[in-house]
Amino acid sequence: MNRPQHTPARLEPAPPTSGRVLDAQLHLLDRQVIDVDGLPVTTVDDLELEGVEADIPIAAGAAAPVISALLSGPVLGTRIFGGRPPSSRLIRLTWKDVSAVDVTIRLGVRSESLAESWVERWIRDKIITRIPGGKHDPH
Amino acid sequence: MKRLLGVALGILTAIGGFVDIGDLVTNAVVGSRFGMSLIWVVGVGVIGICLYADMSGRVAAVSGRATFEVIRERLGPRAGLANLGASFFINLMTVTAEIGGIALALQLVTSVHHLLWIPLAAFAVWLVIWRVRFKIMENVAGLLGLCLVVFGVALFLLNPDWGQLAGQALAPAVPQTENAAVYWFYAIALFGAAMTPYEVFFFSSGAVEEGWKTKDLVQSRINVLAGFPLGGMLSVAIAGCAAVVLLPAGIEVTSLSQIVLPVAEAGGKLALAFALVGILAATFGAALETTLSSGYTLAQFFGWSWGKFRSPVRAARFHLSMIVCLLVALAVLATGADPILITEYSVVFSAVALPLTYLPILIVANDPQYMGTNVNSRTINVAANIYLLIILAASLCAIPLMIITGAGA
Repeated sequence: MNRPQHTPARLEPAPPTSGRVLDAQLHLLDRQVIDVDGLPVTTVDDLELEGVEADIPIAAGAAAPVISALLSGPVLGTRIFGGRPPSSRLIRLTWKDVSAVDVTIRLGVRSESLAESWVERWIRDKIITRIPGGKHDPH
Repeated sequence: MKRLLGVALGILTAIGGFVDIGDLVTNAVVGSRFGMSLIWVVGVGVIGICLYADMSGRVAAVSGRATFEVIRERLGPRAGLANLGASFFINLMTVTAEIGGIALALQLVTSVHHLLWIPLAAFAVWLVIWRVRFKIMENVAGLLGLCLVVFGVALFLLNPDWGQLAGQALAPAVPQTENAAVYWFYAIALFGAAMTPYEVFFFSSGAVEEGWKTKDLVQSRINVLAGFPLGGMLSVAIAGCAAVVLLPAGIEVTSLSQIVLPVAEAGGKLALAFALVGILAATFGAALETTLSSGYTLAQFFGWSWGKFRSPVRAARFHLSMIVCLLVALAVLATGADPILITEYSVVFSAVALPLTYLPILIVANDPQYMGTNVNSRTINVAANIYLLIILAASLCAIPLMIITGAGA
């Protein structure tokens, strides 16, 4: 091959820019959320954006809206069948707790502390712990 | 040496675990009515399940995502929920059929009516899921299921006219006593029995349970490519036995006792004992797999914590949902519904739901974000697309054919 002498054999990848482009639909919605211990918490059922009002067009030059929280719970129903649940019914997982976005979304906190996992905790404490052997670790 | 043993064990488990109540009943029914003339469908089904089980195992090993997580991510919540509804319903039907199958096998052994065995069977299934380690559970059921080899032995002992059997198998034609619609209806049922969606849910979730990584891909592929075809041979042997003994005698298969009749005729009590142990292990193993699969599909769609590698308290909703499923199956069986009939319907509905399961797997197996360099090769994609067409055709024809033929009556 006629490569000029000082060209490196392989080009270095471009340096990372300050952020990463994430497609909300493709990379966030319906992805599995996993806590810091590797325990699945929920699936991202919807997103909450800040800095944008529903049904009002965004003015040119306005600050970009940011994701404030991942939502789960009853919001899945309204996402499928339409409508919007009252704000008080939303189960929020603040974006601050997210530590990495990959094939799954990883959190930097334990699921025990999250509002997200109250159903899991309730079923665990009221039913599963009361059945003999429920705490038995298979390994 | 240890690795070799692991491979051998994997293959044996796959063989023994391939057959479930759906395969048992459908193959015996088909053998007793059509001889060997529908056996080609088993071959088509086995190649299909090899192709897609390998793919779903690869997705799970490389990306750590099990099939239903992938289905939700790719199809979105609406189509995903529709898919969950259909898959879960069919899976629940299969759970019911398998538990009924365990009870029928126990009835054959003990002469105690199967309705009395049903609660015990369901409880035993729950107990194993609650307590026993995944690996032990899978291996014990799979290895005991190998007793079904006795159907192959029986076929030899019956000393059939091999030329005639091979002729039926190699030049398939609709028997004069049956019409074409019924022939194709059973072709679809047999296809659905071989490619039941729960096998893929279980296979991919099992890969996550056992913590497969990219380096385990070779072993997984060997398990699938050796185990499933050999398991398919068991299906063929069951149909063969029925074709040799039941077809000439004009016996219609309506219960388990007719399925094992050829084995008893060929090999007496000892062979019958093996057949019964094999059927018990196969139905029990499949009951475990389908019950787990209903938990897997729900948990993966909603993002709950799941898996037998966690203690039940760390996967509470997963375990509760399986308990509820078993109770529903119990309730259905308690009405006195015939497990054999439930089985026959479940394999046809499985055929209807096939594209829902297999299309998303094919899409993700080609996605480099999940798969890195392990995306499908071109050859696999060509084969998988051809199968997708077959699956789609079977799915679209299943319900119309069921109505036209009165479910094969």
